[in-house]
Amino acid sequence: MHLSTSIWVWIAAFFTLAIFSFLYKDNPFYRFAESVFVGSSAAFAFLNLWFFDVKPKLWDPIAKGNILYVIIPLILSILMLTRFIPKIKWLSRWAIAFTVGMGAGLGITGMIQGYLVPQLKGTFLPLWVPGNLATTVNNWLLVFGTIFTITYFYFSKPIKGKFGVAAKIGIIFIMVAFGASFGYTIMARVSLLIGRVYFLLHTWLGMV
Amino acid sequence: MKREIPLLITFIAGFLIVVALFIPHPPFNKIEETFNSWYIIVAGFTFILGIDSLILHNWEKIRRRSEGWPFALTVILSFFITLIWGIVSGVRTGHIFSTNSTFRNYFYLYIYVPLQATMFAILSFFIASAAYRAFRARTLNATLLLLTASIVMLGRVPLGNVALIPVISIAVLMLLWVLVDELKYVTSPTQRLIYIGIAVVAVVAAFPITKFLYHNLSPVTDWIMNVPQMAAKRGLFIGLALGGIAVSLRIILGIEQSYMS
Repeated sequence: MHLSTSIWVWIAAFFTLAIFSFLYKDNPFYRFAESVFVGSSAAFAFLNLWFFDVKPKLWDPIAKGNILYVIIPLILSILMLTRFIPKIKWLSRWAIAFTVGMGAGLGITGMIQGYLVPQLKGTFLPLWVPGNLATTVNNWLLVFGTIFTITYFYFSKPIKGKFGVAAKIGIIFIMVAFGASFGYTIMARVSLLIGRVYFLLHTWLGMV
Repeated sequence: MKREIPLLITFIAGFLIVVALFIPHPPFNKIEETFNSWYIIVAGFTFILGIDSLILHNWEKIRRRSEGWPFALTVILSFFITLIWGIVSGVRTGHIFSTNSTFRNYFYLYIYVPLQATMFAILSFFIASAAYRAFRARTLNATLLLLTASIVMLGRVPLGNVALIPVISIAVLMLLWVLVDELKYVTSPTQRLIYIGIAVVAVVAAFPITKFLYHNLSPVTDWIMNVPQMAAKRGLFIGLALGGIAVSLRIILGIEQSYMS
């Protein structure tokens, strides 16, 4: 055993153990660590936003004297802050409207380019592959699995009869997908857990 | 005026971005690029509204001395300490993530990362408890979820096929236990026969299934991920895309106006 002599490693170990202590029950150590996490995460997100987005795109052009280039986003950003002044609060709607409009526009283009077209393209598969039964079966499963899954989410018609059978097959595919996602989520969390335990045993206590 | 101008701004911003997708030539590609840059800046300022809400909520708790107010104070203090530390370090070194930035080398590595990683790590215990509730294989759907999750987890780790043997043994024992338990409440002889049949099939099939999976766990996992899982994900993604497009169109056309309130 070789205990770490770094104060920062001890701080990290304290926070790690404080959060793990919640597994026993809620306690002041956990709540302290949780509060530090909430406060510092908010500040960290703000700093990230400033140093990665706002500074290079707004502050740096202003500092270089190119204020005209960013005058419109600057005005919109200031309008966003009018929410703090009740009398002219309604002006913040202009800035919010711009972000909502952009979000909607990017939502459409993102959905078309990122999801709809690639997924539809991937589903157009040959249902008969000569000399390759396995691929043929897999293609059938892929094409009809996709159709049946969509059927399950079609709520404009009562789910019964032949339509109901298709929706029931769809739910089988959905359960397999959820099971796989669940398995991956558990694995991701367990790998984090292993990382923290390794930090305690190796970096802090020097046992392994 | 108070409603019409925001609706017009939403329409123009959304419409031009969609047009730029179909006509990626000047002036539309240039407009899209400029709008994207503006969007990042303006959206960044919305974060200030969120911060204001966090600070005010906690400040109110401190002012009223309500239960747990020292933790509200901790939230505010840690927020400002982190903020000041980041600004000072960022100004001194040029960026918060410079290699010689104390913010990166101490706050990020020894406070933020341990807090975040441990917070997510403890979820593995709660997921295990949730899994116990979700995976009680009472229905076909729950059984499928259980089987897929188990195979995917074991198929993606070293020596997963070795761990499969006790897992399947326990699963079969649990199934037998459930069947025996249910048998107590079954009165019809046909139903009893079905239950006994399932138990016999489970015991008889367990060995060949275990043997097959022991030798083919990785290909089976790949097949699950590439075929049935992929089919469902495609269906979900297509549905998600259609829903997202519909909502976005409603916003651009001014039918959906809840963001104005």
